[in-house]
Amino acid sequence: MKKRQNCIDAGSEYCPCYLAETFNCLTCSRLQGKDFCDCNWKGICVYQEYLLNGNKIKEQRDYYRSNVKEIEKIGKDSYMIKLKVTKKLARQLKVPGSYVFLRSERLPQYFDVPMSIMQSDDFNGEIIIAFKIVGAKTISLIECRDGILVKGPYWNGIYGISNIENMENKKCLVVARGISQAPTLLVLEKLIKNKNKVFLLLDGGSIGEIFIKKYIKDINSIDIYEENLMNDKGTDLIKDILANEDISLIFSAGSDLLHKKIISIVDELKVGPHIAVTNNNKICCGEGICGSCTLRFKDGTKAKTCKVQIDSRKIIERRFSIV
Amino acid sequence: MSKVVIIGGGWAGCAAALSAKKAGAEVILIERTDILLGLGNVGGIMRNNGRYTATEENICLGASELFEITDKFSRHKNVEFPGHKHASLYDVTMVEPEVRKLLIEKGINIMLQSRVSDIIMEGRKIKGVVIADGNVVEGDVFIETTGSTGPMGNCAKYGNGCAMCILRCPSFGPRISVSMLAGVDDIIGQREDGAYGAFSGSCELSKDSLSAELREKLDKEGIVILSIPPEDVNLEKLNLKVCQQYSLKEFSENIILLDTGHVKLMTPFYPLDKLRKIKGLERARYEDPYSGGKGNSIRYLSIAPRDNALKVEGVDNLLCAGEKAGLFVGHTEAISTGSLAGHNSVRLILGMPLLVLPRNTVIGDIIAYANEEIKTREGLKKRYTFSGSVFFDRMKKMGTYIIDNDKIKEKMQRLNLLNIYNDRLI
Repeated sequence: MKKRQNCIDAGSEYCPCYLAETFNCLTCSRLQGKDFCDCNWKGICVYQEYLLNGNKIKEQRDYYRSNVKEIEKIGKDSYMIKLKVTKKLARQLKVPGSYVFLRSERLPQYFDVPMSIMQSDDFNGEIIIAFKIVGAKTISLIECRDGILVKGPYWNGIYGISNIENMENKKCLVVARGISQAPTLLVLEKLIKNKNKVFLLLDGGSIGEIFIKKYIKDINSIDIYEENLMNDKGTDLIKDILANEDISLIFSAGSDLLHKKIISIVDELKVGPHIAVTNNNKICCGEGICGSCTLRFKDGTKAKTCKVQIDSRKIIERRFSIV
Repeated sequence: MSKVVIIGGGWAGCAAALSAKKAGAEVILIERTDILLGLGNVGGIMRNNGRYTATEENICLGASELFEITDKFSRHKNVEFPGHKHASLYDVTMVEPEVRKLLIEKGINIMLQSRVSDIIMEGRKIKGVVIADGNVVEGDVFIETTGSTGPMGNCAKYGNGCAMCILRCPSFGPRISVSMLAGVDDIIGQREDGAYGAFSGSCELSKDSLSAELREKLDKEGIVILSIPPEDVNLEKLNLKVCQQYSLKEFSENIILLDTGHVKLMTPFYPLDKLRKIKGLERARYEDPYSGGKGNSIRYLSIAPRDNALKVEGVDNLLCAGEKAGLFVGHTEAISTGSLAGHNSVRLILGMPLLVLPRNTVIGDIIAYANEEIKTREGLKKRYTFSGSVFFDRMKKMGTYIIDNDKIKEKMQRLNLLNIYNDRLI
């Protein structure tokens, strides 16, 4: 099998990007410096886009200067903020897996911190983001009210995104823990829109609070359970749903430990749902350039996880074969 | 059950499917787009010059079904145009549905809109092909008839960009090279100046866009020749094209139109404003490629090294046919190689010796000759077709250009090849 890379940005309005210009395109063999076509087709010819653009890359994502419209503390060390953005950006951030970079305009670029979109309102041009204080970047965010820089849209916040997008009229299990409740909302919206029956398991995790319930649309159509997912009761609940319902998709929103737990339950029960998980990697530039998110897998391949879709099992396999 | 998987549903793939089925295999034909025949949907020229002999040889070998269809749906028979005699022009709007019906009737499993994007190897054998949606199709023997045209990046690099041809890569995704995925390097054809690939040799105009007078003449005679204004004659364009049998001076000083249901314009591309200067073509517009005023598809970018039984070198269970098997031009050439590859696929499964057609048949000779020539630098710049250029000259020289059906049949009988494709082997 050819180890092709599945770039989330291929075919978007930001494609071709700097990777193409430097012959490192993840999709197009020509823009990897090869003589003939052998691409991982994503619906457009990246090379032709490059030529028709005068041998130049497309205009890349820029910073948008925004203000914090609302801020709300959740749990003991987490916050939810509502930011003003352009309607276009809000529209681009409505798909599951969307994220942006945020930083105070007074700080240098290495304060850029990737944040999953919790909710995006393209009518008013507003986005909601939830984050936990973990270090210098996140601390600097809560002190900032005016002049917050937003760079986006980015889309690779979830691995297995096509599994979510293609799911229709099926039963789906969504487990969300801690701050990862935030990226769950866009997934729920998509699954409900596609007429799926959703079982939602919520766990405050280290945040200690379940904060997304009031944002869920069509909440009555969802079966919601609240449980500590990392203890035995949580395990039993997951097993119970997987054993008794014909689940076609599991979305795991939480740490890699949660992903691993879900995958081992799936294997133990010998059920075969599609799996999607949150991308928990350390992302710094989002453009496949800086190298901080590059992972090396068991089979010897490498991937830039800010842009490349990866099989969730591969992520777990790697994480836990190193530990 | 012995399973033959054919990748590519053009003329070669359809022919391979039929002969593999007749030899007793379970056959799966995988096609990227939503119709069969590929470029056969915009071609239509049969039986011209040496293709007549090849057609009759195929019929004698047992590969008659597809020719029955092209003969039955010929709009014109025995047409002459510069350098070409006794051509039949099939109706491109009639043939594909008939072929599809035939294949379904024969029990061939056709997978449309299924683009092969990868393969699974086991040592030197292909275990299965991976469809773009992730499904895997396994088989005992595989036949690659993916052609050598495009995709978009190649047409951009070696041509004038995507001209939106019948292959419709933007809609259905690119062709892939199965042999290359299996680790076998592709052979690349060249133009006279050494540039890679060649433009497809003709385009098609919408018949309704021609003047009533031209339409009437085409319906009646099948051919119209219009002279090009002297300021627009471009002799250099002849070197660009695939079809060296149509690279005659007459083709650059004149516009040659053939009636194939659409109107075949025998030039790779022609700027629309210049075309519309010609009387009767004032309203002309392209049917294929849609951007025929700008360019055409680029071909011969992916040929597999193979032996004269059409087995790909270096892979134990892969055969090839059509343009994938050499610098061939034309439907007849595709059906000839496809039928042989299909028949040999079953022999390969059974461990029987593969059939190599003798060189005193024109089919055996073109397969062997093209294989010798492709190994030379000059040979990479030539095209091989029964209908013209070097191979037709060779046919005339060797005395194999025969248009007497009885004589062809007598020869095939003498060679003990009569109806060989109709033998069920399993």
